Amino acid sequence: MTYTPHLPLAVLTSALALSACGKKEEAASAAAVAPEAAVAQACGKVTVANMNWQSAEVLAHIDNIILSKGYGCEVELVPGDTMPTLTAMMEKGQPDVAPEAWINAVRQPLDAAVKEGKLHYAAESLKDGGVEGWWIPKYVADANPSIKTIDDALKHPELFPSAENKGKGAVHNCPSGWNCQLTTVNAFKAWGAAKQGFVLLDTGSAAGLDGSIAKAYERKQGWLGYYWAPTSILGKYEMVKLDAGYPHDKEAFETCNAKAECDKPVKTDWARAEVFTVVTDRFQKAGGPAVDYLKQRAWGNETVNALLAWMSANQATGADGAAHFLKTQPEVWSGWVSPEVAEKVKASL
Amino acid sequence: MAWLKEFPSLGSDALGEIRRTVDGAFRGFTREHGEMMERLFDPLRDFLLASERLLTQSPWPFVVGGIALIAWLASRSLKIVVGTVITLLLIGFFGMWGDTMKTISMIFVCTVVALVVGLPLGIAMSRWDRLQRVINPTLDVMQTMPSFVYLIPVVMLLGIGRVPGLIAVVIYAIPPVIRFTNLGIRLVDKDLLEAADAFGSSTWQKMHQVQLPLALPTIMAGVNQTIMLSLAMVVIASMIGVQGLGQPVLKAISNQYFTMGIFNGLAIVGIAIIFDRVSQAYGKRLQRHLEVVHG
Repeated sequence: MTYTPHLPLAVLTSALALSACGKKEEAASAAAVAPEAAVAQACGKVTVANMNWQSAEVLAHIDNIILSKGYGCEVELVPGDTMPTLTAMMEKGQPDVAPEAWINAVRQPLDAAVKEGKLHYAAESLKDGGVEGWWIPKYVADANPSIKTIDDALKHPELFPSAENKGKGAVHNCPSGWNCQLTTVNAFKAWGAAKQGFVLLDTGSAAGLDGSIAKAYERKQGWLGYYWAPTSILGKYEMVKLDAGYPHDKEAFETCNAKAECDKPVKTDWARAEVFTVVTDRFQKAGGPAVDYLKQRAWGNETVNALLAWMSANQATGADGAAHFLKTQPEVWSGWVSPEVAEKVKASL
Repeated sequence: MAWLKEFPSLGSDALGEIRRTVDGAFRGFTREHGEMMERLFDPLRDFLLASERLLTQSPWPFVVGGIALIAWLASRSLKIVVGTVITLLLIGFFGMWGDTMKTISMIFVCTVVALVVGLPLGIAMSRWDRLQRVINPTLDVMQTMPSFVYLIPVVMLLGIGRVPGLIAVVIYAIPPVIRFTNLGIRLVDKDLLEAADAFGSSTWQKMHQVQLPLALPTIMAGVNQTIMLSLAMVVIASMIGVQGLGQPVLKAISNQYFTMGIFNGLAIVGIAIIFDRVSQAYGKRLQRHLEVVHG
């Protein structure tokens, strides 16, 4: 991705965040209680990006509870998405915290901002990293044990039939406008899938992509396409990731496969996505012990998948999921904070 | 006084139970009948594919010529025809030809489906007041219910692609056809109906030769509205995999590609204006024609 500053959006996002802060200020002065105010001094107001996918949403709500109950911060959750939020953080220093930033796609501008001291990396929120690739349902993998790699799958267009193109197989693309759409288009080209009788099916949105998996799974039909972990869909519907069969070619991936103008994409595995918590310089300096928490907070994909699956089964919101996690798995999160803070958080649940 | 502060609601357990039951029932339904539902919509899918193939695979001069011819036949206005051709050429020149043709084909099929379903409903509604009382609130629900609420169940049933997109568009765009047909027929002068009765017309003759022709300009206004509403749904439909101008708009939205968004947005506006002017001119011509006949 070449990076150009997207100023109008950055201004808009930060304006929203700022106006939200203004409201908080009034509320805070009205409800000032002496000892709590002293703690709030140490942390102050903090805006946390609530990204629009499930794992990030839970994490944002966990941060919300721990930062507000444990550290006395005034937390404001603001809706976000990878590109707009990180751009706003770089350009305007708002919001303060992106709990789950998938940084592969924005590494260049982000590293530049970190070098300049505008932003800081905190914990690697997902210890195992994010996994991307092409997946097939488990029942297809079980019925066809010979399919292990992308190449194997592409030999069988009949197993993954396309509804609208008779006699062809379908590869479900990543939602429009996401970075993975570019990598999937290029992978489709690199593997010569069209020649092997496949079409690339644009799913349009995450809802469309998830819907197509759900539909295939309920009816035990073939499905092949891009997906990523950790996600509740993978907790709910068991899928098998196809081995790319080739190692991750960093050079080619960054210069060609991840770009729209890529004449000769190569067969390469996706990078293990690094997922960090990113904080602004302002909060890094003003946050005090709360920042130390953000530097500690990291969890594994198994924990996340289990939590997301619980949320899906109960149709729980991010806030419900966060409360459930904090109540049921103190052994995971009490290591992130000091014992006193852990007590405060527990008392608030 | 706790009940004053907190709204007496079903507990989260009961609500969760309701959600799980309804979802489970729906999943059961998809498993049982999904296949059959999909077969049911096969003819529609083939119609969509055929119309798209016609527009995207014919040489572009034919397509431009064909659309210009239709515009001429409908409007008999040189200004509209020239405007249409220029708009299409500009769209093509800016590299949006393929997507625009896909969108036009989608809108065309949606309009045809809306007419085929909507006209009979509107006529029936004008004849039976009781039916009108049932259909009107239904149309209100269809127009106000956020699309994704029914899109996801439709995707679960039919998968992603053109057919669920078409269903979403038609649900949103069909109400004007129904309402205006109903209204147009109801507005026909009672004296004229009496005259028709005096000449001994049967119900069918009255409908076919008096009411429908006189209601036609109003119905055309409804058709015009339906086309406009289907264009408004292009972006939503692209979120479940309908190809066309909606896809680049989505891409532009999530990446802040300002220019790309404006270009594709303007292309949608361009087709909207073409459709609007042509169908309006046709409606007006119908009216003029009728005035001459009736002196």
